[in-house]
Amino acid sequence: MMDFGRLIAVLANHEVEFIVIGGIAAAGHGSARATYDVDVVYGRSGENLGRIVAALDPLHPYLRGAPAGLPFRLDVETLRRGLNFTLATEAGALDLLGEVTGGGGYENLLQHSMETQAFGTKFQMLDLPTLIRIKRAAGRPKDLEAIAELELLLEMQHERE
Amino acid sequence: MTDRRTTDVSLQTDPVIEVYKKDIDRTLLVENLRLTPAARLARLRQFMNSMAELRGASRRPV
Repeated sequence: MMDFGRLIAVLANHEVEFIVIGGIAAAGHGSARATYDVDVVYGRSGENLGRIVAALDPLHPYLRGAPAGLPFRLDVETLRRGLNFTLATEAGALDLLGEVTGGGGYENLLQHSMETQAFGTKFQMLDLPTLIRIKRAAGRPKDLEAIAELELLLEMQHERE
Repeated sequence: MTDRRTTDVSLQTDPVIEVYKKDIDRTLLVENLRLTPAARLARLRQFMNSMAELRGASRRPV
């Protein structure tokens, strides 16, 4: 069963360096849209890759959409050889992103993130202006409505200040 | 062209996105902005759990 809170808590409790982006970050900033996966940008250091593997192993990660029986094992070498992974886990869909268009990697985005406390833990969540910027940079027509909502939220926050 | 009133200073106004803004239900956003980020995420989690339950119920034979 999907439980994005569990996924985030598992990563945070293993001290994985990650930043929540995408629909979950949007919801954290006030979006009223549903989302069906957790998108995170992760640090690419060897230590962090080891922490990701340790955190996710009990959730039996598998490549989302891949045919059953395809040999796949999420280990440090697999993470090192790839960059962005779309995974299915026992706690739901997880997109592990080494880089995002318009935002770069973990080190670049960290300065544009904010510490958030939820699900009994603390984690980094991308700030609203940067979330808008990377969604715009992705240039996907399906994101237009989501971007409009995020920009409205930013305007409403400015009005409240 | 940058409109400080409608977007962040570093974001240029996109006329296509401006059109989409007209159809966004602002009342939901106002309600969400009254909550803390943790409360917003808890609410989404609850909603998603309800959706999963509903989906499971629709698959079960009556």
